Order: sequence, then C-alpha cells, then structure tokens
Amino acid sequence: MFLALKEIRHEKLRYGLIVGMVVLVSYLVFVLSGLAYGLAQQNTQAITSWNARSITLNDDANESLSQSLLTTKTTKALTLSKHEAYIGQTGVVAKEKGRAKLSAQFVGVDRNQFIYDRVAVTSGHKPKRANQILVDDSFRDNGYHLGDRVQLNSTSSRYRIVGFTHNAKLSVAPVIYGTLGTWRTLSHVTADFKASGVVSNSATFKPKTAGLATLSMSKFINKLPGYSAQNTTFTFMIAFLMVIAMVVIAVFLYILTMQKLPNYAVLRAQGIPARVLVSTTISQALILVVSGLVIGAALTAATVLALPAGVPMSFNMPLLSGVTGGILLTGVIGALIPVRIILHVDPVSVIGG
Amino acid sequence: MPALILSHVTKTFGHDTNEVTVLKDVNFEAAAGEVSLVIGPSGSGKSTFLTIAGGIQTPTAGEVQVQSANLHQLNSKDRDALRLNKIGFILQAYNLVPYLTVQDQFTLVDRVKPQGNLSPAALRELLMQLGIERLTHQFPGELSGGQTQRVAIAWALYQNPDIILADEPTAALDSDRVKVVGRLLHDLAKQHHKAIVVVTHDLRLKEFADKTYAIMDGQMTLA
Ligand SMILES: Nc1ncnc2c1ncn2[C@@H]1O[C@H](COP(=O)(O)OP(=O)(O)OP(=O)(O)O)[C@@H](O)[C@H]1O
Ligand SMILES: [Mg+2]
Repeated sequence: MFLALKEIRHEKLRYGLIVGMVVLVSYLVFVLSGLAYGLAQQNTQAITSWNARSITLNDDANESLSQSLLTTKTTKALTLSKHEAYIGQTGVVAKEKGRAKLSAQFVGVDRNQFIYDRVAVTSGHKPKRANQILVDDSFRDNGYHLGDRVQLNSTSSRYRIVGFTHNAKLSVAPVIYGTLGTWRTLSHVTADFKASGVVSNSATFKPKTAGLATLSMSKFINKLPGYSAQNTTFTFMIAFLMVIAMVVIAVFLYILTMQKLPNYAVLRAQGIPARVLVSTTISQALILVVSGLVIGAALTAATVLALPAGVPMSFNMPLLSGVTGGILLTGVIGALIPVRIILHVDPVSVIGG
Repeated sequence: MPALILSHVTKTFGHDTNEVTVLKDVNFEAAAGEVSLVIGPSGSGKSTFLTIAGGIQTPTAGEVQVQSANLHQLNSKDRDALRLNKIGFILQAYNLVPYLTVQDQFTLVDRVKPQGNLSPAALRELLMQLGIERLTHQFPGELSGGQTQRVAIAWALYQNPDIILADEPTAALDSDRVKVVGRLLHDLAKQHHKAIVVVTHDLRLKEFADKTYAIMDGQMTLA
C-alpha cells in the first residue's frame, strides 16, 4: 500500500488519466445498462406490480393478451377465488383538448378482484364508476391533471381522470386502469365477452376448461411483443461493451505495470521481496478501478437526476453488482498478467555499465 | 571464514559465435573488516563480477558463498532474504525509486524489513557525513548526479548489511567527496566489521583499500 499510494501521488497525471478512463467506461456501462433495464421494465412494470404468477388466455391467442378474448360462456365454467382476477386489455389513444395525444394501454379490472387492490394510487383515488379512470404518472408529465375528461379512441363518452398511479407501463406505453365495461366499449365487443384473460397469484390455478391455456407470468412476459428481441439485443450490446471495456482496462493496467518494471528491478536488487511488488501492483489496480467505479456511479446518479422524466432508466442491483464486480476483476487481472514478469524481473537490467 | 567467496567463477554470455566469456575462472575472497577494491577498465567485467557476488546473476560455472551459504543452493526467496538482510548494493546507475522522496526510500526499507536497520540518529549521522541531510524531502529527479549517488550509498548502508557491494560509488563525485566516501567505507569496515567490495576505475579510492585487485578481460589478479 505504501508504494502504491506514493506512486499514485507522484504520478498524478498518469494515474488520473487511467482513473478517468475507468470512469468513462463504467459510466457508459452503467448508463447503458440502466437504459436497457429501464426499457425492459417499461414493457412489464404494470404486470410486475400485480405480483401474479400465471395468466390464463384463450387457447387460440398464441399467448398474446391482446389477441385473447374469453367468452362469458367459457368463464362461467371457471371458479375464481380471491387469488384470480379478470383483466381486459386493449390499445387506446388518449386525447384531450390542449394536451398531447398519448398512446396507452387500457386495462379493465373488476373492483372486487385482487388487481384492483394491488394498484397503488399516488394521488386521487381508484375508479369507482364506469366513466372514471386511473392513469400512469406519465400522463401528468405530459400535462394531464386530475379531473381532466379524456377521450379514448373515438368514443363519444369521455372519461375522467380520478387518480394517478406510479410506474404502470405495459409494452412501453402508459396504462389506463378502468372498468371491464369500458374495456368492452373500447374494444367493441358485446357482453358475450367477459375479459381478455384471467390473472392469478396462486400456483394451483390451472383450469382444465377447453379452449383455455394457462402460462406462467415469466413465460407470458417473454412472449410480450418485441420484449425478448429487445432484451437479447441489449444483453448482447452490454455484454460486448463489457468485454471490450474490460479488455481496454486490462490493457491499460498491463501497460502501466510494464512501465514500472525498471523501478521494480531496482527494488528487487535491494532485496525487496517480489511479494511486496505483486501486492503493490494489485492494490494499485484496485485503488484505480474502485475510484473510477465510484466516480462513474456518482456521474450515473447525477445523470439520472438530470434526465427528463420520460427517459426510462432504472437499475437492477444484481445486474449492477455483476457489472461492477466484472470491471473490478478485470482490472486486477490486467494488472496481474505481468506478475510472472514481475516475479522474474531481472535486477541486472538496472545495474548498467 | 571470509564473508564472501567466489571460487572458479566463469560467466559467459550469448551462444555459439556470439559467445563472450566475461569472467574467466575468477577466485576472490572478501573478509569482514576489510575493504577490497577491484580496479579495471570499462567493459572488463566489474559489474558482472559484482552482481554475481551479490546473487542477482548466476555464474555459468563456479560457486559463490555468502557467509558460508552457497548461493547456488538457495531458492529465490532465500536469496531475496539474504540480499535484504546481509547485502547492501550501491548500484552503478545509482537507481532510486523515482516516486519516493529520499526519506521515503528509507521508510520503504523499514516497511519491508522492520528490524536491524539504522536508528534514526545513526541515519541522520550518516546523511550528515554524506552531506545530504538537507535533501530528505526531495525526489530523486530533483537531485544532482553526485547527490543521487550519495543517497544511493546511504540507502544501501541503511539496511545495515554485513556485506557492502559498491559499483563505481564515486563516479560522479569530486575529489573531496571521494575522500568522504572512501573514509566512510573504510570506517564501516574497521568499526562495524563489514566486508566491503568496491569495483571501480577510480584510482583515488586506492588509499582506503586493504586489498586491491585488478580485473582485465575477465581475469582477476591480486595487485
Ligand atoms: N547481459 C549481457 N549480455 C551480453 N553481454 C554482456 C551482458 N552483460 C555484460 N555483458 C558484456 O560483458 C562485458 C563486461 O560488462 P560489465 O558490465 O561487467 O563491465 P564493467 O567492467 O562493469 O564496465 P563499466 O566500467 O563500463 O561499467 C561487456 O563487454 C559487456 O558487453
Ligand atoms: Mg560496470
């Protein structure tokens, strides 16, 4: 540690540049993974907030909620407990004079079922009547207020915003919660249809009714349109970025260590054990990479504060710790690649003459 | 028993047609309490001889014994320990660690080898003798050649080694300083019972030596 710190203090510019590089690389990785994760979450936030384990859809819907319709005849054969809830989903466009048009996902729920209870209200209250809706916060970011009377698609009736909810996104669109009746109106179906699907938070709900298919929530999420394609793309982007970033950091630390060999040779000639030099190298790499990561994380935090609310950015702790640990590990490995050379550094090389 | 013995040491560099034999069957002994001077022209093999004596190069043939330990038979860890505890090198290129101040160079030794080094008072005395007591907060880059050389001498002596191997310790010094260093090495041998080997082409050191050897084309003779 003594040597490590003394050297860093003496060579401020050189080490500053390396820390700067680690800062940039970790900042880039943090921000990108935050954005990717944020986008992934916008596909699923609403679903995640229900905390459900399975969804039952029409057999012919190809595991897609928007393609699924359950007839009243089918649903009559089902026995729902307090762990099940109907949902009716359809894509809508919300408009109101003087406000931006918003594409949204309408989700109709039953007041007496569990999803209605799960939805958290940030202001206002939950819909109690057919013409009332609860909307995602992003409506507020787009200038909508409580009490606004919103037109959905080209319906003649208008719906009053009675409450806001936080983080309700489905397929990257804000969610509007309302009644199943409104869902029927918006999707132009008659009372012969009950809902789009049944969501359950019990592991045992698996109706045998013909024409129905039950799938786990995680499978359902992966089947959301574009979701897994998007995730694969981002995972690969971040993985490549990580690998390249790691190689760059490792190469820099390698060069740094190589440049120190003449000094190490002097120390070896004086009998300073190789062990001391190796631990100096490792602690130096750790100091550099850790300070780079800390500053990178601080920059990322500052960026999150500075970004407009509409930019999806969110962080997943296990993912972040993995990324951080990876960068740290590579730093140490990069510094350690020349260890063999350190161990065999030839004091004769500095004797000269 | 002499502190340092080289018997039949030969050192060859290169292969085949490029082969050069730098040391030829060198026999040498240095006893505690004596200053041995090895004088030879540039390229005669002085540095090679000294680095082999100090265990940082291995001879092609022959044996080196330091305080009756055969260097050849020690593993690298024990050789390090021997160098750290018993042998002080004054390097020809008077290498110091560029990012440590003069004081920190000594502190580093304390860190690695907490015991057996000079006391703070003895170190101050040594630095005063060498005329570098005011330079303790300078970095090597801020010292003149002669100052650097004197710091390198102090650094090697700081570990209080039994054997001191000095490669041209006076190359950058004026005659007055040469006398200071010569007397210092002489006193170390006499008062502290060190074995001191100095290789040089500086004949001014001759008056401080107990024995003088000549080295020429790799052959060592007692002058
Ligand atoms: N690693 C090496 N490989 C090949 N030849 C070497 C090597 N080290 C030294 N030599 C050769 O050995 C000879 C003696 O070198 P050495 O450094 O011992 O001389 P020296 O007496 O210390 O010279 P100077 O007074 O200039 O310091 C030189 O001819 C040199 O070229
Ligand atoms: Mg030499």
